[in-house]
Amino acid sequence: MAAKGDMFYAWAADAACQERGECGGAVTALLTHALRSGMVDAVLAVKRGQDIYDAVPTLITDPEDMAETAGSLHCGTLLLSKLLKRYLDGAENMRIGITVKGCDAMGLYELAKRNQVNLDNILMIGVNCGGSVSPVTARKMIREKFGVDPDDVVKEEIDKGQFIIQTKDGQHKGISMDELEDEGYGRRPNCRRCKMKVPRQADLACGNWGVIGDKAGKATFVEVCSEKGANLLDAAAKAGAVVTEPANPKGIEIRGKVENSMLKLGDKWRKRYFEDLGEGKERLQKIMEETGRCIKCYACIENCPICYCVECSTKKSYLVEPGKVPPPFMFHLIRYAHIADSCINCGQCEEHCAMDIPNSLYMHALQVEMEKMFGHTPGVNMELPVLALVEEHAERERLAATGSDQIFDIFK
Amino acid sequence: MDFKYVQTTCPYCGTGCSFNLVVRDGKVVGTQPYDRSPVNEGKVCPKGTYAHEFVNSPDRLTKPLIKKDGKFVEATWDEAYDLIAQKFKSYKPDEFAALASARVSNEENYLMMKFARGVMKSRHIDHCARLCHASTVAGLAASFGSGAMTNSILDIAESKCVFVIGSNTFEQHPLIGRKIVQAKKNGAKVIYADPRYTPTARQADLYMPFVSGSDVAILNGLMQEIIKNGWEDREFIEKRTKDFEKLKEVVMKETYSLENVSKISGIPVESLKTAAEWLGTNKPGAILYSMGITQHTVGVDNVRSVANIQMLLGNLGKPGAGVNALRGQNNVQGACDMGALPNVFTAYQKVIDEAAHKKFADAWGFPDGICEPKLGYEVTTMMNVLTDNPGELKCMYIMGENPMLSDPDINHVREALESLDFLVVQDIFMTETGELADVILPAACYAERDGTQTSTERRVQRWRKAQDPPGEAKQDWQIICELAARMGYAEQFPFQSAEEIFEEIRRVTPSYAGMTYERLERPEALHWPCPTVEHPGTPILHREKFSSPDGLGVFAPIEWKPPAEVPDEEYPFVFTTGRILWHWHTGTMTRRSATLDTEVPTGWIEINTEDAKALGIKNGERIRAVTRRGSVEVPAKVTDDIMKGVMFMPFHFHECAANILTNNALDPIAKIPEFKACAVRVEKITEA
Repeated sequence: MAAKGDMFYAWAADAACQERGECGGAVTALLTHALRSGMVDAVLAVKRGQDIYDAVPTLITDPEDMAETAGSLHCGTLLLSKLLKRYLDGAENMRIGITVKGCDAMGLYELAKRNQVNLDNILMIGVNCGGSVSPVTARKMIREKFGVDPDDVVKEEIDKGQFIIQTKDGQHKGISMDELEDEGYGRRPNCRRCKMKVPRQADLACGNWGVIGDKAGKATFVEVCSEKGANLLDAAAKAGAVVTEPANPKGIEIRGKVENSMLKLGDKWRKRYFEDLGEGKERLQKIMEETGRCIKCYACIENCPICYCVECSTKKSYLVEPGKVPPPFMFHLIRYAHIADSCINCGQCEEHCAMDIPNSLYMHALQVEMEKMFGHTPGVNMELPVLALVEEHAERERLAATGSDQIFDIFK
Repeated sequence: MDFKYVQTTCPYCGTGCSFNLVVRDGKVVGTQPYDRSPVNEGKVCPKGTYAHEFVNSPDRLTKPLIKKDGKFVEATWDEAYDLIAQKFKSYKPDEFAALASARVSNEENYLMMKFARGVMKSRHIDHCARLCHASTVAGLAASFGSGAMTNSILDIAESKCVFVIGSNTFEQHPLIGRKIVQAKKNGAKVIYADPRYTPTARQADLYMPFVSGSDVAILNGLMQEIIKNGWEDREFIEKRTKDFEKLKEVVMKETYSLENVSKISGIPVESLKTAAEWLGTNKPGAILYSMGITQHTVGVDNVRSVANIQMLLGNLGKPGAGVNALRGQNNVQGACDMGALPNVFTAYQKVIDEAAHKKFADAWGFPDGICEPKLGYEVTTMMNVLTDNPGELKCMYIMGENPMLSDPDINHVREALESLDFLVVQDIFMTETGELADVILPAACYAERDGTQTSTERRVQRWRKAQDPPGEAKQDWQIICELAARMGYAEQFPFQSAEEIFEEIRRVTPSYAGMTYERLERPEALHWPCPTVEHPGTPILHREKFSSPDGLGVFAPIEWKPPAEVPDEEYPFVFTTGRILWHWHTGTMTRRSATLDTEVPTGWIEINTEDAKALGIKNGERIRAVTRRGSVEVPAKVTDDIMKGVMFMPFHFHECAANILTNNALDPIAKIPEFKACAVRVEKITEA
């Protein structure tokens, strides 16, 4: 009987699934079992679209269709959490199995806190994520840095700090992510700053870090993170869908080391990005300048997992004068005011901004400050957001005691 | 529950962005980014974000309608087809005219063209390109042998100097505006000329406000300055062009000295000097232009002047350069490529050319022949003929166009269309034009069709069907086929799918011959010309030589002429028109998209602050704008973002229709109306 905290190596029992899947196909096998056995009504996963750079979400109800979701796509930058809320009724009426990167999981928790998704109906298979690369950037990078026609690449992966490609003729080529990222290629900026590498808020956390010995590359490391996850693993093993063995202790150690180095890398990028922003008025100036390109395409709001209000404040004419290009700065201020405490740094707002405004950078920069001030970390548990905790009387008394009418002295 | 993404291309502007339609249980419920798109990388403008909102509007036409006693009555398809077939058969070829649509697919435009020329044997077919880039098609064909955007959208980012004139790119082609931002990040200088301080002006390094209609003077002046400083590309001029001396003779005249150009245009001499220097010393340079250049009685002159300056600078045939005509509609490029023009078949093969005529007649196999090898009427000419020579044109078949709001001098258009004996309108919503029809045919919208469309950078991309059309609405291509069959031409219209139509298009269209639906599945799709299935497509034109018979670019000596109607005592202001970010053209789709409509629910007239003060007009005040054509009541927007002496109205709003005021003066070659300049006066409305 598996329990929370247990760690295994797992792989699909079916040879074809092992072959097609990533590192032994455990994730695919687990989800297929969940579907087949009726643990879930559907699986929301990602499959390859027109090529390896194109990730398409897909809702699967027939276990036979699970095969096409096998394998990993490092250009899959999409966020599944908002999709689930918007188009699948937030799992209110059906049980859904879903693969989640760190950001997907964090997004689901934030939506759950706001009663927009029903976590009880969601079975989350977390996957380790070192970061994803935007498809068009990946192609440009492969063409210009690797000197290879992106259409000749059959497989890509990020391993040991390198972006590695495999071409049709079987050749491998790897370049260090550091080198790529210093030149503006590589992972999305928010991914570089991300420190949610092993999503333990999911039901199972899976990946290839820590799989050593003869199982290296052939098995998936699975950490059980909840009772639901334990049940799934047990049931799948019992039904012969997956095979498991306890994780090698040395492997566990190595996994911890890799995770730590990824976290350190996240710290390094945060420092770099946030310092670049400057402080106080200088930072505000930068933000006002960049957001001056905004064409109000609403991609930031439509894609943000925290934004779900039917009556969005930015659409209130008395707050934001409509029909103006660029919209008044109040548009962005409303976003910062409403989201900053809970921003999970998923990067969707920046990736989809029509004018390439570094929205995620600004929001994340605010969020880390809020986290310092209020000690709230979004996306990891069901702790309510900061804004939900203000008690009016207490706050007014505190303010009165300062002798000033300014909640924060912004002119310091 | 059925949930899927259907990847498709945007139905609004000519940038050719892709996005996903979200389909739940067979209905389109939203849009989601398609990150893989090479053109827009998952990003869209607000129209694209909300491109699903109008699709399932309760206003959608769902049944054929026949007008009986002045009222529309629902009918069956059989009734509608029988009536149309009977009426169409009663007209001679020259009595019939068709308007194809820059918004439907290539396949459908091709079929409308085939219907007009093959079934009706008529030479009169045109569409709204006439109102927008007719000057480009004619002008660049004369200068380069090919009338299309020379470069690709992606390589604009590689430019070292971007000159935007007559295009408010950040509102009209926002994802092309993004390329300008990228060029700037790579160190490019951005020059912007426009009577209005628009969102594009905000992004420019040099903003040159100028009086609408002085483009040739400005361009000639810049060329004089370039030549004076020796910044021209002599090697390019010598090897790749001809008639340079003729051009030089004109542009070096005193008329085009910077001092004089400044008087004509209103641009300070210093700005003109800087612009010339930046253009002359920062190469490769790209020019982006749109309606401000084309919609004039000298539209062709303006276009050729843009071609002149780029040939002078050697800015052609390489990345980051080019004459980038930004085509408005999503498929106006395709509609032109498909020959929905009165002078050409597909791929611009001339109607009057005996060989071309025979090629199409043979390929189509109409037993009773096709139209004569003669030029037909442009839509603007059709309107004039209807009012000036009643009885000549009796019948029109209009697909996906709304001339009652988009053509100049709407009162004239109404008179013209009302004089028709029989009018068939095929559309997705009832429009101002539809109201005048005898028969309405309900059609499918972009989310309900398979097909191809061609963006401004000549990239042919797919539309993919995401849901069924509502009620009894049908695909435009199906309607045309069924109507043709009803008239006895089933054999010439045997198509069971859009792909089958595309296969026929390939056979007669050299620039599309190498394209197949399979090849177009790739996200990159294909830029024409693509003559063979091995050919990779052509993102950049004129690399080694131009498309003219001798491969040389042709300089054209052009003198500046003022607009047909300039301000005078009675109408003291220049009146110009244009688009805005939130709405699309006659608003049939965007005004039914709640989010977009809420942003901008109605129109306005922009008046400079000083002018407003002198007239005693306040911001928001409802006033009357009057030209020789008519008058409209419209709220005033008093702003410093427009030059003194110039006024602007967006043309999207039927309740204050800018085109009631515009002038039906046409460019003599392109027959494009001068939407961008006429004379207006405004008056306060005093209650009786």
